[in-house]
Amino acid sequence: MTKNSQHVFSNSKGGWDVRKSGSERASKHFDTQREAIQWAKIVAKNQKAELYVHGKDGKIREKNSYASHPRPLKD
Amino acid sequence: MDNFDKNVFVNCPFDDDYRQLLLSVIFTVKYLGYIPRLSLERADSGESRIEKILGLINESKFGIHDLSRIMSSDKDEHFRMNMPFELGIDYGAKALKGGEWATKQLLVLEKERYRYQKALSDLSGSDIKNHDDEPSKIVKVVRDWLVATENIRRDSGHKIWSRFNEFNAYLYDQAVEIDGHESVDELQVIEVVRHMEDWLMHKD
Repeated sequence: MTKNSQHVFSNSKGGWDVRKSGSERASKHFDTQREAIQWAKIVAKNQKAELYVHGKDGKIREKNSYASHPRPLKD
Repeated sequence: MDNFDKNVFVNCPFDDDYRQLLLSVIFTVKYLGYIPRLSLERADSGESRIEKILGLINESKFGIHDLSRIMSSDKDEHFRMNMPFELGIDYGAKALKGGEWATKQLLVLEKERYRYQKALSDLSGSDIKNHDDEPSKIVKVVRDWLVATENIRRDSGHKIWSRFNEFNAYLYDQAVEIDGHESVDELQVIEVVRHMEDWLMHKD
């Protein structure tokens, strides 16, 4: 089930984490979601990964694919 | 009785604005290896609603009762009494039925700290936790309660919250990109629970 993806999601103690799917720890923590997304985009591009941006409730707010053969995206 | 020691009666609202909190509770219970029991699961039977509820309470050692939506939000809206009523039945089963029901463990949830006291002062002194309408908080509250009650070692609330987020990505892919739903909100709760089972089975 674990695939090459990066996630931006809210930290239960405040702020926003960027974390690779299946990883035990966040790769980086930010105060704002905007900063977290900026960093996560760079990481996802470098790793040719999919990027999921979660809302504070955990639901997917935005998804972008930087994989070699991206699937068509739906808004 | 089958799975009495693993069954968790989830007495929470099914409102749209509570949906993500409900899914967070269900996910946390399943993640910890317990079985969430909801009145929705018996929707096809010919039982009356109260019979369904009594059956679930009878079959469950644990009960999670969220009173955060008992207040009416509009001036023409009535107070919503189902959840405190069902909490009362569960409490009564624990206090009066004896046998294994005396071991029942109940978690009462509220939105804000101490707010319940104005409406349900009989609960003063009981263990009531607030979640501030935040899924990340409700995950931790449910996890901490179940782990302390059962005296078991499990992943942290933060880790379960991270996993819940990953599950939401999986759900989006399955429901929207593969199955053609406009949004994950189109799925019935029971369908989401089925996706949780698939995800949890293959998460590692």
